[in-house]
Amino acid sequence: MTVEVLAERGARARRDEEVDVVIVGAGPSGSVAALHLARAGISVVVLEQGEWPDYADYTGARPEHELVSTKLWHPNPNVRDNPNDYPVDTSTTDINPLMFAGVGGSATLYGAQWMHFLPSDFRVRSMDGVAEDWPFTYEDLLPYQLEIEREVGVSGLAGDPAYPPRGAYPFPALPMGSVGQRGALGMEKMGWHWWPGSNAIPSEKFGELNPCVRRGTCLTGCPEGAKSTTDRSHWPLALKAGARLVTRARVKEIETNEQGLATGVIYVDANGRDRRQRAKVVILCANGVGTPRLLLMSGGPRTPDGLANSSGMVGKRLMMHPFASVLASYQDPLDSWRGPFGQQVYSLEFYETDESRGFVRGSKWNCMPSGGPVGVSGATGSKVYVAESGRFQDFWGANLHENVARRFGHSLIWGIVGEDLPEESNQVVLSKDLVDSDGLPAPQIVYKVNENSNRLLKFNIDRCLESVRAAGAIETLVSTPVRESGWHLIGTTVMGDDPKRSVVDQWGACHDVPNLYVMDASTFPTSGATNPTATIMAVALRNTRRMIAERRNQKVA
Amino acid sequence: MSNENAFLALADFLIPAHGKMPKFSDVCGYADVEKSLDFRIDLKPGFARGIAVDPATGAEARLESLNKEDGEAFSAITTIAIATYYMSPRVRELIGYPGQENVPYDSKATQIYLTNGSLGQVVARGRKYRPTPGL
Ligand SMILES: Cc1cc2nc3c(=O)[nH]c(=O)nc-3n(C[C@H](O)[C@H](O)[C@H](O)COP(=O)(O)OP(=O)(O)OC[C@H]3O[C@@H](n4cnc5c(N)ncnc54)[C@H](O)[C@@H]3O)c2cc1C
Ligand code: SF4
Repeated sequence: MTVEVLAERGARARRDEEVDVVIVGAGPSGSVAALHLARAGISVVVLEQGEWPDYADYTGARPEHELVSTKLWHPNPNVRDNPNDYPVDTSTTDINPLMFAGVGGSATLYGAQWMHFLPSDFRVRSMDGVAEDWPFTYEDLLPYQLEIEREVGVSGLAGDPAYPPRGAYPFPALPMGSVGQRGALGMEKMGWHWWPGSNAIPSEKFGELNPCVRRGTCLTGCPEGAKSTTDRSHWPLALKAGARLVTRARVKEIETNEQGLATGVIYVDANGRDRRQRAKVVILCANGVGTPRLLLMSGGPRTPDGLANSSGMVGKRLMMHPFASVLASYQDPLDSWRGPFGQQVYSLEFYETDESRGFVRGSKWNCMPSGGPVGVSGATGSKVYVAESGRFQDFWGANLHENVARRFGHSLIWGIVGEDLPEESNQVVLSKDLVDSDGLPAPQIVYKVNENSNRLLKFNIDRCLESVRAAGAIETLVSTPVRESGWHLIGTTVMGDDPKRSVVDQWGACHDVPNLYVMDASTFPTSGATNPTATIMAVALRNTRRMIAERRNQKVA
Repeated sequence: MSNENAFLALADFLIPAHGKMPKFSDVCGYADVEKSLDFRIDLKPGFARGIAVDPATGAEARLESLNKEDGEAFSAITTIAIATYYMSPRVRELIGYPGQENVPYDSKATQIYLTNGSLGQVVARGRKYRPTPGL
């Protein structure tokens, strides 16, 4: 039976049926949970507000790509303006959260940069005296990380001295283009760490994934079906194993009984009708914004401050990885529109704490191609740039031609991801006036980039400028902190042992509602400084395995 | 002034001839502009306001005032101008842009960093992570 037939069959709701598990969200975390639960013979329904991707809609191979993708595939839901997304109130944040609704989740638009957290990320309190240690260690998680890599089809090169020894990657690293080589040259001149990029892009055919052909449009959807997203890596297998997926199903409330146990969810279906899905266990995989939003929306008379929120921590400690970018242009050609875009090279030189720098924790850098002529011109969305420089003429007229001649095909971008420390004042709350297309309250982000992050970014930008100049850069452009950079949404239902200070335990079970789980990055006590999806999927797998093993002891309504 | 002339005047100010590069109206017609707008119907209202030009006002002054008073219209005009220009096959040829092309490769080919010793130097610099056993 084809995936399409299985998907179609699963999409039909069955009235009043109680399933073992209902999962909210079909992104990376929800997909992992669905696949492994279904394989264990557990009945699973996944509710996803978005739709299956249509690969013909990805414009990467077409001339209009730069024009269309800046709207249709923009990572900010407020710009995309698609009714399947919910809007986000960004009036009180320094950084806009970025995400996508659909089967495959936000990874539909991710860069596929694949990084494990480092050992120290799990021990920040013990090592650096800040925030909290995780309830488990790097070593505890490593087997799950390696298993997920095989499911996802990651390409990379083992042996990086910035990590403890690990096994080989499933696929060889993608070829390093001139961009990566130039980035590495700068690091080599400085005597700093760099390593060939690891990416969730198999370099060879793998299951439903085609080999990457370096089209370089990963951030706006891969028209080749080469970038690993769970609509291709996990869902075909999950559907065959019996999981059911209902798309255009927006969950509006988690229901509980008098004993405070979850009994299922209410969702709005594609026709705008309310439906109930009863379940013994509810798992939230709606990301660091969608998950707290749903818990806050689910507060009835028994829990007016939101479900599972006796600690008051739901929505708090939002971390989004303040991000800076350095564009560097070189005299010689680098073919810098060519992929993978992904990371060609990464550096963990400044990852660990060095207090002499004036901040704690550190950063991860990734070297990427700079893309097509419109993007590198710096002229689109001119209003933004004009406001900074005062004169729109700086980007137009003869300046446009000169900027494009200098940068297009000749430049690279280093992205600098900084660890974000948790602060309770940075949070997701419900907007008082903005609503989604079903009239449900939109999330509002209250977030300020903190002093540690500002210092961290400044230090790293200065070092990055040294590196690119050492490799011969003739022009550099810095953007910091980039407002449109909240691609990592972390920390808003923190895990911990103490129900007074945390929302879930180390297995993702809510302290207040033992048959309600969170399996996305909302549970992370700290953010690390690497891209989080590898860790998100590994933690989801660890939690799911435990749920399967303990199924007979699970408390249910 | 017709819509066509109003837009082309603005676009030629934004993208004039320079060195080997042609001005906007040398390589793009208004039909190309309309095609671009069909890809981005969200820009149509701003675009319409942007070209409702008082013929007495010059292109630079008009853009200056749009930029100050109607950011959405300014953004629509500039986005359509630049995207249409760089979609032109002639412009792409001049800047050496084949588009986001498909470049197959041999995944088993030995990468240069393995043979020129550069990655070996990274390894030789030794361990970077901080181990955490017992913590
Ligand atoms: C532009 C961009 C680039 C990125 N690049 C990288 C990268 O290079 N490497 C990396 O590791 N990470 C990257 N990320 C982050 C990565 O995409 C996320 O970490 C990952 O997708 C999180 O997975 P998730 O399943 O927890 O959440 P998501 O992928 O966000 O999935 C959540 C799903 O839940 C659904 N949902 C939410 N609320 C409801 C509701 N009420 N009812 C029904 N459905 C709901 C949403 O529609 C969505 O599909 C990037 C993200 C973006 C936006
Ligand atoms: S670089 Fe590879 S993965 Fe990215 S869009 Fe192109 S073909 Fe797809």
